[in-house]
Amino acid sequence: MLHERAPPRALAVVLPDLPLQRVLRARPPAGALAVVWEGLVRHATAPALAAGVRPGDSLVQARAACADLEAVPLDAAADRAALRALAEALLALAPVVEVAPPDAVLLDAAGARLSGSDPAEAERVLAGRVLALCADMGFRGRIAVADGKGVAIALARHAGRERTRVPSGPGEGARALAPLPLAALDLPAEVAGWLSAVGVEDVGALAALPAETLAHRFGAAGAAAGRLARGVDPRPLVPFVSETFPRERWDLEGEVGVLESAEPVIFAAKRLADRVAARLVGRGLGASRLRLTLLLDPRGEERVDLPLSRPGADAAAWLAPLRERLAGLRLPAPVRALEFAVVEAAEVPAEQLAVGDRPEVARALDVALSRLAARLGERSLFAAEAADRHRPEAAYRETPFRHGGAGRGGGAGPQQPRSPPESPPEPQPERPTRLLDPPRPIVALGEGGRLTSLRIEGAVRAVLALSGPERLAGEWWNEPFDRDYYRVRLEGLGETWIYRDGRDGRLWLHGLFD
Amino acid sequence: MGTATRQQEILEELRRQIHRMERRPARREGVLACGLPEVEARLPGGGFPRGCLSSLCGGPASGKTGVALSTLREAQAGGGLAAFVDGRGEFYPPAALALGVDLRRLLIVRPGTARGEVLPGLWAAEVLLGSGAFCAVAIDVPLRGVPAARAEPILRRLRAAAEKGGAAALLLSGPGDPAIPAAVRIDLDAVRLAEVHHVA
Repeated sequence: MLHERAPPRALAVVLPDLPLQRVLRARPPAGALAVVWEGLVRHATAPALAAGVRPGDSLVQARAACADLEAVPLDAAADRAALRALAEALLALAPVVEVAPPDAVLLDAAGARLSGSDPAEAERVLAGRVLALCADMGFRGRIAVADGKGVAIALARHAGRERTRVPSGPGEGARALAPLPLAALDLPAEVAGWLSAVGVEDVGALAALPAETLAHRFGAAGAAAGRLARGVDPRPLVPFVSETFPRERWDLEGEVGVLESAEPVIFAAKRLADRVAARLVGRGLGASRLRLTLLLDPRGEERVDLPLSRPGADAAAWLAPLRERLAGLRLPAPVRALEFAVVEAAEVPAEQLAVGDRPEVARALDVALSRLAARLGERSLFAAEAADRHRPEAAYRETPFRHGGAGRGGGAGPQQPRSPPESPPEPQPERPTRLLDPPRPIVALGEGGRLTSLRIEGAVRAVLALSGPERLAGEWWNEPFDRDYYRVRLEGLGETWIYRDGRDGRLWLHGLFD
Repeated sequence: MGTATRQQEILEELRRQIHRMERRPARREGVLACGLPEVEARLPGGGFPRGCLSSLCGGPASGKTGVALSTLREAQAGGGLAAFVDGRGEFYPPAALALGVDLRRLLIVRPGTARGEVLPGLWAAEVLLGSGAFCAVAIDVPLRGVPAARAEPILRRLRAAAEKGGAAALLLSGPGDPAIPAAVRIDLDAVRLAEVHHVA
């Protein structure tokens, strides 16, 4: 005997009027506005509804009712992107999240529970967190928790409450669904049409039909409709995997021309930063480089890149360096919109993403780096790492300064000793603290074949001590070099690093042991 | 206790929390050792004072950069960040590595040396010192030939930034440089350590 797979415990969050919510979350509060598709009003704001605009009206009818109505075309792709953005953020609350177009996201409610906790209480807490995160992301949601994702979505869309919870167990889903209209099940048009024709008007009536009736008439689709009406939906959640870095946008329509100071931009950027950070946290990522793009009116844009000293998802930490960068910006035109995007990111442990143990130091560091980068250029700031090259001038390479440990006593306050390395570092050859580029030519002076002094830039300096040589040669495939290096102590100058070029025998001052 | 009093207490606590969140890193006190006994023996307190500007004077190969790098290494050993402002473009990181400096935790600022301009380097040092994010900052900018009237206000700002951020500021200077308003000045030359003058 075959047993049906147990339905997953699912939390569905549905975003009512998503096309309208999506438009409103990316711009200042609107008055009478309608989302229009194929010439018909699909969604309208409260002021538009109050003025007599109704979903289903033609645009002409709607404008007759409300002359000031702003019409925005429906953008299904942007709506799906908004759902994906919310799904990214919700990954912080559940191990598996599914995007369920056109207006829902599903969470694995069982996986999100704390072990040993009361399921009802855990689901109540989860629902609260989901609604709060929706609000942070600029959405208003309705939630249902039930066995089976189809059941949960139907209840979230049509139960008429902000939160619905159906206890787990056989028959519970069917009881909850019974009073809902057939439209709640989102049945195939053919099935829905036939049921309507035979007088089946609600889910309870559909559940009462013999299972074989629908299966015989409509095949698998009919059988699935019958099962769903009886609260049986064993389909697993399809995990959502995001493949792009978060990007959020804010339109300043109606505010153009007021951006004489950076404050309105900062204000809008903060909102976007919060959303981007929430999405990063959901994916366990930390941004190491951000980009704020200011779209200018009527055209053109200004990009502000923000390299960060360590990957993170603390939006508050981004604002100080961002403020610093914007304060020094001279814009040729007003800003009409902002885009805030993650350019580079890295996986970061959850505890580091949450707060960081010394956030004030990390913020101070980011502000300082941002100021320096803005004025001197990013290439002026770097860390170094050893390169496996014999040519002295190529023995290190510049790398981005990314300090993950700034929070561990980077600046002031009590210091934590650095843990000792597991193995002693390899001894490094002694090198001059200063390398001269280009090397300075030297003339050797001597008596009786013995080197006594060197002439450097016109000054004759007696040789007090000399050690070497250390032969450095190689790179025959590129620019071959062959040098004998000496450490020479010169009167009135100190310890120097001098080499004899093996190709022509000339002497050069290359470094100073300052 | 009235509701209004309770609300007042909650507001005060929230203000304190916000203040803690927004505050700058606290100031440090004391001195920062350089790990070189022969130098430490000549420094008041055995190290370079935190929150102060110190001057390391000497000729081109007097060993002042080595002393600065050793101090940066000690700052890192305490868990802090260090920076080197390379206004001359001569700093050679492999030497720092050989001295035990953790290069990954050393910020190098090379503001460009095309015109021998000192202002960008000193400005960068001021930003780093004032940020409070660094324990020690070495500053190597060519000050020779800069008129004292021009150098003095800049160097005073550098000193103020060090006081504000709590970092040990190590200014490398050479013969003929303008007077440095430093708390500690140590003169080094190629062959021996000279006298240390405790100025402030």
